[in-house]
Amino acid sequence: MSSSTRDEVLRHISVVGLMQPALHKQTHAPSPDEIDHTLFRAYTRTPHDVGGEPDIPIVWEEKEEEQWELNTFATCECLAWRGVWTAEERRRKQNVDVGQTQYLGLPYYGRWLLTAARILVDKQFVTLTELVNKIEEVRNRHV
Amino acid sequence: MSKPVYDLEHHAEMAYGIGDPQCFKGKAGKPKFKEGDRVRIKDLPDIFYTRTMTYTRGAEGVVTKLVYESPAAEDEAFGNEDSPEWFYSVKFMQKDLWPEYSDNYSNDALETEFPERYLESV
Repeated sequence: MSSSTRDEVLRHISVVGLMQPALHKQTHAPSPDEIDHTLFRAYTRTPHDVGGEPDIPIVWEEKEEEQWELNTFATCECLAWRGVWTAEERRRKQNVDVGQTQYLGLPYYGRWLLTAARILVDKQFVTLTELVNKIEEVRNRHV
Repeated sequence: MSKPVYDLEHHAEMAYGIGDPQCFKGKAGKPKFKEGDRVRIKDLPDIFYTRTMTYTRGAEGVVTKLVYESPAAEDEAFGNEDSPEWFYSVKFMQKDLWPEYSDNYSNDALETEFPERYLESV
């Protein structure tokens, strides 16, 4: 059992490395026989599990958090203190539920902020209609 | 359609003054493994949510410590805390995780934590 599991696991890691966001590539809805087990596992994986994926080195930049990033962190902690979510629920939403493209494509605290809004809508503390109207109101205030 | 009702105070009340995961102490029952046991990581289905890294699955390691009791990430990530289980720290040799790992560093090891459901005896 173990060696075939290892084979599958290592193959899986090499395949998911190919699934970077592809902005200029059109995706075609595949027919079922085009998705074998290897591809199914790659598509349904949790995007935060990046350990061992082949990738190029990224440039390290020393940069302080911006004010909105600090505010976002504080907001998310307050939501936790008020029982809206646990840390693990937050991680699921911001690291996994967002999907591969947003996970790799958005800034770290951008995902936190998006997810804070999402949990409030999902648990019906605000409706998406209220949220959209508020965003629109603020946007109009700043044109 | 009525709104779902969430028990917002539950977790805060449980953890008040002691913290998390300390609030789950004594709730996981008898641990199945002990320090020094050789274990293999199960390759359970990994849809929706897991924190068991792919690169550890199918690999063998040694339990170094029973670390705490807590709901597994698979449950906690959806707000469910009904079934806490033991968490174990497991040590792997890097060479057992990465086939291409250099022989020059064959003493290198990696240690990480798993909920009990992922372990099987070797």
